[in-house]
Amino acid sequence: MDKQKFEVLKDILFEDARKRNEELDNKVKAIDEIISDRAKLEPRIAPILEDQVHYLEKNFPTLFGAAITASIRKQIKDSQDEVVDALYPIIGKMIKKYISLELARLSERIDRQLDRAFSWEGWIRRIKAWFGGVDERDLIMTELAQPELEEVFVIQQESGLLMGSYSKHQTLDQDMVAGMLTAIKTFVKEAFPGGYQELETIEYENYKIIINNLKSFYVAVVISGNMNTDFKMKLDDIMTDFEQQVMEKYLGDKENFSEDQLTELIKANFGKLNNGE
Amino acid sequence: MGNSKKVILLGNFGVGKTSLVRQYVFRKFSDDYMTTIGVRIDKKMVAVNGQEVSMIIWDVAGESTHQKIPNSYKLGAHGIIYVIDVLRPSTYLSIEKEISSLEDLLPNVPIVKVANKIDLLTEKERIEIVNNLPLNDYVLCSAKNGSNVEDAFNKLAESLI
Repeated sequence: MDKQKFEVLKDILFEDARKRNEELDNKVKAIDEIISDRAKLEPRIAPILEDQVHYLEKNFPTLFGAAITASIRKQIKDSQDEVVDALYPIIGKMIKKYISLELARLSERIDRQLDRAFSWEGWIRRIKAWFGGVDERDLIMTELAQPELEEVFVIQQESGLLMGSYSKHQTLDQDMVAGMLTAIKTFVKEAFPGGYQELETIEYENYKIIINNLKSFYVAVVISGNMNTDFKMKLDDIMTDFEQQVMEKYLGDKENFSEDQLTELIKANFGKLNNGE
Repeated sequence: MGNSKKVILLGNFGVGKTSLVRQYVFRKFSDDYMTTIGVRIDKKMVAVNGQEVSMIIWDVAGESTHQKIPNSYKLGAHGIIYVIDVLRPSTYLSIEKEISSLEDLLPNVPIVKVANKIDLLTEKERIEIVNNLPLNDYVLCSAKNGSNVEDAFNKLAESLI
């Protein structure tokens, strides 16, 4: 009997508390439903996020500028060679285009001056060029040997080991050529020290070896004949593209990048030079 | 490139480095001495444990110490052959120091020590000199008659695989 009374008393005393409890329970369920359902959650938090994004956009330089600048500066300082390798193809092309443009302007100015000049040789050359349908300067070059790609070597910087090559004639052992070229490069570097300097060209009679140095490897291209500006520009473009491809593939997957793959890459790129593409 | 290995030959001038390479690569020997200028490079394909290895041999001009040779000649080397002349103590007196400094420069690169010109010794002299050599684990050989030349290079080739 006493127990019944106690229960009644408990109901009376705790009724409010139970109701509040039920309300809270329902609210938690409703919140849980919103959180678990993306469609319901999105419209609620989107405005807040939007505000935050706007705030970040507006204040990004102030909030993160100093930290990012410091981080980039440190990264560049710690890995200068990698940065140079990464930027080389882009900056190299930009500089080359700028210089080419300036040279073209200079050439045009010289042409204007030449046009004004009067000489028998000039007239004869001009007439020949006109009949042949070629540029006057190129006509002079045709008297000399045409430039042609003879060999291409891709060589590891330190060891001097051959990574891949292309040769028109296969006269010498390419591994030994790669070793000797590296030894010559090393000798020049040791004999004439001074900052970041590398051997870039070797000339002997009708041949020219053009060397392009990157951090882990270098490319040596053997050209015969007289290199005219067009050929040189085409070669520069091909070298830059080729080096970029090798860096992406070789540095990306050193272990599985085979000599055959590299040889194919050399043929695909440098073949354009002799095909006149 | 995977099976190409750069091997450098070091040692004093006149110890027979070039003759060893000539004997190993071309099976030839000449009594005329011609000093090596800078470096000369040769190549030999060898089969080691059924695997073809292309040894690109850098025969570097002799110096009293390898420290006089530009480091960039040595960098990237996979193996070293250090040659001494058994008849000239000056070529091996400081060999321990030389080897230790090479090990510092090129850690984990195998070094084979070669004592050359044993053809110039009588049996008695040979025993006497060999007992006094400040070396252990070396190959006695003669570039002139080819004795043990192949063994010396093959020993190095095996450690390159």
